[in-house]
Order: sequence, then structure tokens, then C-alpha cells
Amino acid sequence: MDIKELLYVLSELDCIGNITDAADKACEILSQYAKVKKTNGNNVIGFLKGKADYTIMLDAHIDQVGFIVTDIDENGFLTVSTVGGIDLRALPSRSVTVHSKQKITAVFCSTPPHLSNGDAEYDTISKIKLDTALGKKAKDIVSVGDFVTYNQECFDLANDLVCGRSFDDRAGVVCLLELAKRLSEKELPINVAFALSTGEELGLRGAITAAFSLNPNEAIAIDVDFGDSPDVPAEQSSVLGEGGIITYSPILEKKINQKLTNIAKENDIPYSTFVTGGKTSTDADMISISREGVKTSLISIPLRNMHSEVEILSLSDLTHLCDLLEKYILSGGVFNA
Amino acid sequence: MLDLLKQLCLIDGISGDEGNVSDFIINEIKDFCEYKVDNLGNIICFKKGKHTATKKVMLDAHTDEVGLIITSITEKGYLKFKNVGGIDNATLLFKKVKINGKVSGVIGGKPFHLLSSDDRKKAPKDLYIDIGVKSRDEALALVSLGDSAVVQSDFEILGECIKSKALDDRIGCLILITLLKNFDEYDFYATFTVQEEVGLRGAKTAAFSAAPDFAIAIDSTTAADIAGVSDESRVCVQGKGAAVSFMDNSTVYDKAMYNAAINSGITCQPKAFVSGGNNAGAIHLSGNGVRTMAISAPCRYIHTSNSIVNTKDIESMISLCEYMLKKLASGNLE
Repeated sequence: MDIKELLYVLSELDCIGNITDAADKACEILSQYAKVKKTNGNNVIGFLKGKADYTIMLDAHIDQVGFIVTDIDENGFLTVSTVGGIDLRALPSRSVTVHSKQKITAVFCSTPPHLSNGDAEYDTISKIKLDTALGKKAKDIVSVGDFVTYNQECFDLANDLVCGRSFDDRAGVVCLLELAKRLSEKELPINVAFALSTGEELGLRGAITAAFSLNPNEAIAIDVDFGDSPDVPAEQSSVLGEGGIITYSPILEKKINQKLTNIAKENDIPYSTFVTGGKTSTDADMISISREGVKTSLISIPLRNMHSEVEILSLSDLTHLCDLLEKYILSGGVFNA
Repeated sequence: MLDLLKQLCLIDGISGDEGNVSDFIINEIKDFCEYKVDNLGNIICFKKGKHTATKKVMLDAHTDEVGLIITSITEKGYLKFKNVGGIDNATLLFKKVKINGKVSGVIGGKPFHLLSSDDRKKAPKDLYIDIGVKSRDEALALVSLGDSAVVQSDFEILGECIKSKALDDRIGCLILITLLKNFDEYDFYATFTVQEEVGLRGAKTAAFSAAPDFAIAIDSTTAADIAGVSDESRVCVQGKGAAVSFMDNSTVYDKAMYNAAINSGITCQPKAFVSGGNNAGAIHLSGNGVRTMAISAPCRYIHTSNSIVNTKDIESMISLCEYMLKKLASGNLE
């Protein structure tokens, strides 16, 4: 599968709570190139052996945002809670998939026109009910604790932009799988561990145990960051199509960034940089404080409409990010002296 | 029947751009009736029955759906638009659209993470369509000002119900097509009209051409039988049959026609709230005045891409239309 196919296949599968379809598929693909295992917390770990006794951990999170059912009423309306950060303003009339005994489609209620005073408030998820259209029968099919996901399928926009759900961070997972494929055919100077971690959207949870068990010498997290769009100030975003974003922050390791930047320049690989003043809200925050501390950096993919089901990215950014990381790893990482 | 409805709903046709819907309908009905297309694009059909009608009856459904029209393009190639028909902006944010039925785009917005706690509560505004281009010139190679855009969604069966875009009023179109194909007791007129969502405009000229004694507007109306809405504000309830109107914002309906429907013995319900309006508003004021009624599908999330209607209610609407058509055409209503 090429990068686009891989992104489409993995994004149209879901991974939230006990739903692990995307993780299972990613695990199956990763196992073609690397030695894989699943950990207790449902992280998928892949390992490629290199020459030196030195391990670089590459991390991307496999989970996605969504909802969980907390109540089912007599008329087939569900109350849900969010799993991760969701823009409630965009829920009315949206159709979603309820992962119940049998998968069903349901629609979030919108305000009927005659009751709308033009001043709707979207402050509480429990007020925005989810309509199964099943009436009383809903209770036979849906259970409290069932997960609910977006269901938009992927599609092409102009140029090489693509759109779909869960690109945060299935795009990062796709980069790891592409890198595993490329690196499995090469002689490696160092060990490479691939971590597809769960629970990022609920507080970077999977990365905590993944980093502990891998005990790497250095690490790079691959996640998404804000892409340029009319609503986002230029200084808070990166332009789609200008390459992966090398992130600078007090908690990240500058030497990794410097080497990444040098490699990008020497090989004419497009990249951009983004600077933040503290934590990054990515798995890098947790990996870097694992055990005695891990030198960690973060490369991001510019993404528009983050946490919606119409996230947009440029396929060339994924290719360029893979080119950069492939060269970086083949060069032996940064502390392998 | 559901297959035909699916095909009708999935055609994009906003007010003023109903051509593809009309072409599809003409292809369906051309062997069953005489028809002409008027200057606005209305299809006016006459179906000859076994018996000549004592009174001229017109059944009407509108072909257009709500949507968006492209009004300008920014320097960076984002498309600005206006709503065509009544649409709640909250139902637009982060949805997939198609422009002219071929160019895919997305209604974009600020990511959740960057919204202030105040912004998170307010309805989204200043919406735009992102088609993935980098400049106005690049955009103009794909779309033009005045092009139509429609929010995309799948046609799906949810238990007894269907979920789709454009149920308002492709259900009406489905019913007219069904009657033109199957009802042959009396002569009748069927009009497929344009531009309902922008002020009942097609129905005005269609009613002038047909010049009926009686008219039935077949449309959809809000079913607010959803969680959190009190009984008296529900308008109508899904699964309890066609909604028959006594009054809305456009019409005070003919009481004899209303009573005949409610007492027909066919499962139906009053539209129990004065709200909304439909083509009856234009038809009943045509010529010297036309005695008019409205038969509507109770529709949840009307004017959104994921409207829901119960299929039993559609069956009730067909039965009620046939019943009223017989009664009116045979001259059996005072």
C-alpha cells in the first residue's frame, strides 16, 4: 500500500476504548516488517534490530477522539460524554456510528427551527442528545459504555490534499508504518522501536507505559499540529505542503532538532519549524520524563480542522517527514557516540 | 420505493439549480402523463384518468433543497458563501460539501483547541469552504461565483426510518411520481415546482398554469418529537402518519379539506403548531383563490443533511393523497 492508501484504510477504521480495529490493522501491517507485540494497555510495539546497542523510539498515537454512551432513554435518544476534545458547536445534525452490539448510525439532535432563537448555547454535551431513530428498541441494541465515533470516509481535495477523520494521529501512524517498511530493507546502525500508543487524547496515557517498557536512548514523537487556515493566526500554524514541523520547546531536545535540520538542508527535504513555550500536549511530554528521562523531540504534520471529522492534510508532508526520519535514523541518531 | 427516494435525495439541486432533479423526474414520468416545463423550470403534468374530474385538482411538491451559493473567493482560494433557504450554521461546520456536484470541499473552522471558552458556546459564523487550493486563480479554475454547494451525506435506513439530505421535499416528488404512475381513476394535475425554499416562487407560476379548483401541497414539516422538547412544542410526531395543517405562517387552510383528511380513517395527525410554511402559501392566492390543503412528512432535523423521516408516515401520505384526490376530483367535497 502506498502512503495515501494506508492513510485511507487506517483512518476509516476506529480505535477508541475497547474498539481496536485500527490498532489491529496497523499491527498486522507492522508485523510484515518488524517484530511486534501488544502490551497490556493495547499499545502496539514493533522492533527492528540494529548494529549498536542503542534504541531510538518513534511514537505515534493510534487512538482518536469520540464519545461514550452514558444514558439511553425510552424514546431512543442517547446521552453521551466526549472522549477527548470535541467542538460541541459542530454536533447538531451530525451523523455518527454507535459501536453497539450491532453498529448503528445515529444523528445528533439539532434545534427545530420554530424553537430556535438564534442564540443556541453549546456548552454542555449532555444537552445535545443523540437520536438512534429506534425508539424503545434502542435499549435492546445500545448499552451504556458503548463508544461512538465519527464516520466520515476519506476523500480527495484539490492538489495533494486529502480529507477524513482521525488523521490525528493516524497520519503519524502511517509515517511509522512507511518507515518500518523502508528501514526493514536496510542495515540499521541502531535499534528502532515503533510505538503505536493508545490513550493520547485522554492524557497521553499509552506513551507512559510504552516508553517505560522500551526504555529507549532517544525518542521522537510524531503527531499533528495546526495547519494554516483562515481562522488560525499565522504564528500559531504551519503551512500545508511545506514539510514536517520540527518543534522547539524547553522540554524537547535541541540536539535532535539540529541534526534533523542539518539533514533536511543537506538533502533538500522541505521542513518547517514551530516554537512553543512549554509542554507540547503530545506523547513527547510523557516519553521525555520516562524512567530517568529520555532525550525526546517532536515532528508534527500540519493539519486543518483538528478533532473534526474533516481533518485536512497534504500527502507530500507525510512523504517528506518519512524521508527526513529515514535519513536521520540511518545516520545513527544523535547520542550514539 | 425507497430505492427511488434514495436516487431522488442524492441528486443535488438547490433553489434555482434544480435542473438535475427535473431531468430525473421527467425521465420517470414521461411515459405516464402529458407534461410541459414552464419558464421557471416547473414541470406541470396532466394525467388522464378513467373518469373526467368534476373538479380540477393539483398536487404539488417542490424539487429544490436548501444549500449554499458561492459569493466570493478569498485571495488564498477559500470560498465564501450565503445560505440558500433557512439553514442553522451549527449544522454546517465541519461538513463535506460538493460544489456543482463535482468539486469536493469542506466547511472549515478554527480547531477546538484554539477556541476561547466563550467562542465554544456560540454558534459558528464567518464560515468558508476549503477545496484544497492555494489561490483565487487556482479556485477559479474549478468553481465560479454563483455556483451551488450542497452538504453531502449518505442515504441510510435506521430501523423504520430513513436518514438523508433533501428529504424536504424529495419525499413529495416521490409521492407525485408514484401517483402519476399508479393512480388512474380521475384526471389530475401534478406540479414539480422550483424555488420553494427562497419564497414559494415556482408554485406561484405553476398554480397559474394549472389553474386548479383544489390543491394539495405535499411537503415536509418539523417533527420536534425529540429529547428535551415539551409536548405542546412537538408540532407532530413520527410514526403517527401524515401531518395535516390547519394553519401555518403562510396559509390558513381550507377547513373542509382539513376535516375530510382528519376524518378519513387513514392514520394521520394535525400539525399542532403554527410555524413554517410551504407552497400552499403561493397556491391558495393564485387566480381567484384556490382551496388548498397541506399534507406533510413529519421530519426531524429538517433543513439539515441528516434529516430523518419514518417510512410508515410516507405510506400514510400516499394513502391520504389518493383518498383526497378521489374525494376532490369526484366533486364529493362541499
